[in-house]
Amino acid sequence: MNPMRILVVDDETIICQGCSMILSDMGHSVETRSTCGEGIEAILGNRYDLVLLDLKLPDRDGFELLKTVNGKQTRHVVVMSGYATVQNAVNSMKLGAVDFLPKPFTEDELVAVVENIAQKDSYLV
Amino acid sequence: MTGPNFRRFYDAFREIISIVHSTPDVEELMNIVVWKMSEVVGAKGAIFRLLNIETDELELSAAYGIGKNYLRKGPRLNHNIITDLCRLNRAIIIDDLHHSDRVQYALEAEQEGISCIIDVPLTIGIQARGILRIYFAEVRDFSDDELNFMVAIAEQCSCALSKARIIEEQELKYNQLALQTDKLSSLGRLAAGIAHEINNPLAGVLLYSSNLARKTEEGSQMREGLDIIIHETIRCRKIIQELLDFSREREPQKDPFIINEIVEKSLAIMENEFLLNRVEVVKDLAEDLPLVMVDGNQLEQVFVNLLINCVEALSGGGRIEITSGRNDDDELVTVEISDDGPGIPKQEIDKIFEPFFSTKSTGTGLGLSVSYGIVRKHGGRILVENGLHGGARFRVEIPYKKATE
Repeated sequence: MNPMRILVVDDETIICQGCSMILSDMGHSVETRSTCGEGIEAILGNRYDLVLLDLKLPDRDGFELLKTVNGKQTRHVVVMSGYATVQNAVNSMKLGAVDFLPKPFTEDELVAVVENIAQKDSYLV
Repeated sequence: MTGPNFRRFYDAFREIISIVHSTPDVEELMNIVVWKMSEVVGAKGAIFRLLNIETDELELSAAYGIGKNYLRKGPRLNHNIITDLCRLNRAIIIDDLHHSDRVQYALEAEQEGISCIIDVPLTIGIQARGILRIYFAEVRDFSDDELNFMVAIAEQCSCALSKARIIEEQELKYNQLALQTDKLSSLGRLAAGIAHEINNPLAGVLLYSSNLARKTEEGSQMREGLDIIIHETIRCRKIIQELLDFSREREPQKDPFIINEIVEKSLAIMENEFLLNRVEVVKDLAEDLPLVMVDGNQLEQVFVNLLINCVEALSGGGRIEITSGRNDDDELVTVEISDDGPGIPKQEIDKIFEPFFSTKSTGTGLGLSVSYGIVRKHGGRILVENGLHGGARFRVEIPYKKATE
């Protein structure tokens, strides 16, 4: 599996740190941001293979980020949410998210989602 | 009764009857009656005193032509006097105020210019409800017609009172129901909001504990502890998911169903539970049911929840009856699930649909409240009662009218 460049956007520091630790252990390079604005800025200025995005952010909701980055240089966005309703999942997918990870999730669940995307990517390459 | 007298009584009677039928406000009615009554029979004034059922005291409800000072004084009629009057069920004339046990303040009455009093009973059924007391400035003879008129008017007022009381009771019942419904839905919304907030810290707990568990040797004490943390956190996640389901976020995806199909599916899901717990299931499903527009999965969840509830009530085996039917008057399809267990304690029966209310040590207290929320979103309701011969009975009502629209 090729190492990916991953961005985690969540205002919960613990979740950013946790994801960062686990994904770094897997060999990926991980950055974190804690607001929607910072997230958008990072995405527009860099090329990420994967963005893990929380829906509820302090400045704007994550859907705004999805709308902004849709079709831009970021390849995949996975939405994480503590409000895992079918409606939220459907909206995320419509806006271009590739997967939906309901909070709370275990390490295994996070790893499975990321590996799944890495695999898709390797087919594409 | 002939001539101008008859006309006078007849007109007054007609007027009062029309007020009885057109005014929902009993107080207004009584105020008009004491005024009309005094006018028609040439009295100085009249009052209504009604029995307050809670305090068992007579309270002044309407007065005409009598000074405030005298009214304030009394008469504090004693209860027996009223019940005696009602038992006689006719008007009583008191023309000697000083020697009647029905008059407590004879002197004050005299000062007010009262020489004679007529008491007329107000009854609802056989129950004493109060008194209509008419005051006269002079002692005179009263014709039977006059006395009959007074009694007839009092009877009309009793009718109005009884009607008003029924309306009041209905209103009270309705308000209580509305309050209960409100309370449940706001509790659900509140709980859903909290659930959402809890998911974030739980995400931290689960992520770190599962990460640490992977790095810890299998079978070690540390690993055992971490596994417990993971297991319990996942349990929290499940509770919260149920809570979010209870909140109004998820709208039912409705399709036409004969409700029996959903009942059968729920029974199939529960079959193993029935076997394990030695529960015998008796079903009696109606054959001529109309289609209902429902979310099959959600309704299945409701029936499964109710069945689980029954199975748990029947520890050590028992019988569950499930029946379906229709109520064409109210355009409802009904499903009743009852067990022959111990029933629901009286003090708990109002609470069982509240989120987090549980009598079981392992229960989340959400099964029934989730079910309640689902049925409400279908425009129906769940009722619960204890059966005549013990056991609990749940009744799910779903409107079917929409399917034909």
